[in-house]
Amino acid sequence: MIKPITEEERQHAFKTQRKPEVLEKQKLDVRYHIEDPVVDGRAQKFLEAFAAILKNTNYGFVLDQYVRSSAKCSRCATECQVYQATRDPKDIPCYRSELLLSVYRRHFTVGGMLRGRVLGSKGLTDEKVNEMAESFWNCTACRRCTLQCPVGIDHGLVTHLGRYILSEIGIAPRALVISTREQLEGKTGNTSAIPVPALLDTLEFLEEDMEEEKGVKIKFPIDQEDCEYVFFPAVSDFLMEADTLMGNAAVFTATGGSWTIGTGYFDGINYGLFYSDRMLDRIVKKVVEETRRLKGRKILIGECGHASRSAKYFVPVFCGGKDAPPVVNCMEYLYDMLKEGKIKLDPNVITDPVTYHDPCNIARQGWIIDKPREILKSFCKSYVEMTPSGKNNICCGGGGGTVSIDEIRPYRTTIGGKAKAEQIRKTGAKYVVAPCANCKKQLRELMEDQGMDDVEIVGLHDLVYKAIIFDESLKVKKEEKEEETPEAVEKEVE
Amino acid sequence: MQPLMDFVAGPLFRLTFAIMLLGLLRIVVLTVWGVIQARRQTDDKVMPWKLITENTLGWLVPVLRLWKTRPIYSVVSFVFHIGLILVPIFLIGHIQLIRESIGIGWPVLSDNLADILTIVTMVTAVALFLGRLFSKEARFISRPQDYVWPVLLAIPFATGYVCNNMAIGAGVYQWTMLFHMLSAELIFVFIPFTKIAHCVLVPFSQMVSTLGWKFPPRSGEGVAETLGKKEMPV
Repeated sequence: MIKPITEEERQHAFKTQRKPEVLEKQKLDVRYHIEDPVVDGRAQKFLEAFAAILKNTNYGFVLDQYVRSSAKCSRCATECQVYQATRDPKDIPCYRSELLLSVYRRHFTVGGMLRGRVLGSKGLTDEKVNEMAESFWNCTACRRCTLQCPVGIDHGLVTHLGRYILSEIGIAPRALVISTREQLEGKTGNTSAIPVPALLDTLEFLEEDMEEEKGVKIKFPIDQEDCEYVFFPAVSDFLMEADTLMGNAAVFTATGGSWTIGTGYFDGINYGLFYSDRMLDRIVKKVVEETRRLKGRKILIGECGHASRSAKYFVPVFCGGKDAPPVVNCMEYLYDMLKEGKIKLDPNVITDPVTYHDPCNIARQGWIIDKPREILKSFCKSYVEMTPSGKNNICCGGGGGTVSIDEIRPYRTTIGGKAKAEQIRKTGAKYVVAPCANCKKQLRELMEDQGMDDVEIVGLHDLVYKAIIFDESLKVKKEEKEEETPEAVEKEVE
Repeated sequence: MQPLMDFVAGPLFRLTFAIMLLGLLRIVVLTVWGVIQARRQTDDKVMPWKLITENTLGWLVPVLRLWKTRPIYSVVSFVFHIGLILVPIFLIGHIQLIRESIGIGWPVLSDNLADILTIVTMVTAVALFLGRLFSKEARFISRPQDYVWPVLLAIPFATGYVCNNMAIGAGVYQWTMLFHMLSAELIFVFIPFTKIAHCVLVPFSQMVSTLGWKFPPRSGEGVAETLGKKEMPV
């Protein structure tokens, strides 16, 4: 698939080193920062956490299936972009899964326990836990390997579980834990720690910008009750992806859609998906709670892969099955509106070649694949496809939460993203449309580190915003525009 | 010699075959029970049946899925499975024995086809063994059983072929047949307890993996409670 990294690249990728005194104190040699891991009796604590999780979940029966049927065919190795780059056999998905499966077999199955006793093996060691702590975070959780497993092992699920257990003994990337803490217990209640007044300021500023650019009053409706959609973008979009948000607002204005952003909670990000089901549960509940507070009918997720997946698949899991509000991704809404003819896009605006990057969390299960492509083809002069794509896409290299771990950037852009960079280079595209906050951040860093500065990473709604044509009836009339109401003046003075 | 042959072909065969059947039945029952339990415990009852069926059938008959990844290995492995499944079940000699003992039978493979499949199975078994030995990836993740199985599975095919097709003396025939039966019985005994259990688990695997993501609604709180972390901050 791709060429392995050179020795020079390897040294660059692994150059991140934490301070020796920290390594000594934490007794854990991983590249990501950790707050406060269990140090004494780590293996024992790991087993306790594992047991607690098995007791309260259904993971046991899945692991039984995997332990019994794993045939070690190694087909997954050819699919894993991390392994293809490092060619370190420890990065083979099946090897990674075996790290945890062997613990399960040895400590939680009768056969394993008997064999352990007879053969006198001492079972799980601290070293093995440390190996897992490194291995499970080398994986981008893209789950591409799962598609090629003849016996149906979902290595992504095993890694997911492994990270969950590790997090219960204090081993999880600090970047994710801190953000989640702010989101669940902090004053601002979101991962980017944006206070509500700052959010409102930002939105007002964007509204002014949009009016100036498009000549239309495009609003971000705040705290409106009884709307069809309550909107939860990746909260970082408010800081970093203004164009995407403006696109969202423009689409809703043009289509007369009923939507709102709640000031009680407005963050679609859910790092629980990456390291802890406990957090995943608590975070999706906040989304549903806010939707219900505003009497909204549906949850609308912005351009973000993991936010979409965690809402789409885990709102029903944790918030009442079919009684939970339905989850819609903003691209689905856009597509429907385009098909209904409620959106007009100017085909002469985007003339440079455009390609589409499938975020794993949206495409792997076959959820949203063709819709964004059809949207793009409807107004972009030149659309180029990446291969492979869709369900079988290649991860940006920052999946599974790793993109938020800034200290491993050299690893991400040298190893994780190597395959993606080659793929993008082949398309010769000017715009890479990546409808995911994580993918966008990773791809921008990737382009920068791989010397591909001429490529522009954008959201789907960014391009839509550029090309959208508003109905004349929506245009602000000149006089109206210049007229300054007393309230507006007052506000400005404040 | 004859009493030994009778024992191996009679009681020992019945015992080992019963171990295999009961062992596999146990696994199937546990899996089905697991599926039912997981479905009962989750609030999200919606299953992507179309996708599950497509993937399950796609891997049970993987003709369209072989070419993307490790194509040579995959085709060899697929061909290996054909003979491995068909020959023991549809060989005329086996059916005659079954008919004699329990009075039922079913259509059989022609001798020629059976012979071809037997040879193909032996050749592919050796190829799989060598493939594992010479692939860096496969070698790294292989356990002892992964090397033993292709060899072990080839033995009854080789011995059966010798007995059926080669002009050998009665003594040699008896020993070869004994070896044939014993190796098959060894296989029966190990099937439920090793990776060959995938022969009954593959039909469930996609469903199990899908259900794996459908957590019980109060699992998070339950874990926090068990670990005494209920009131603990993030």
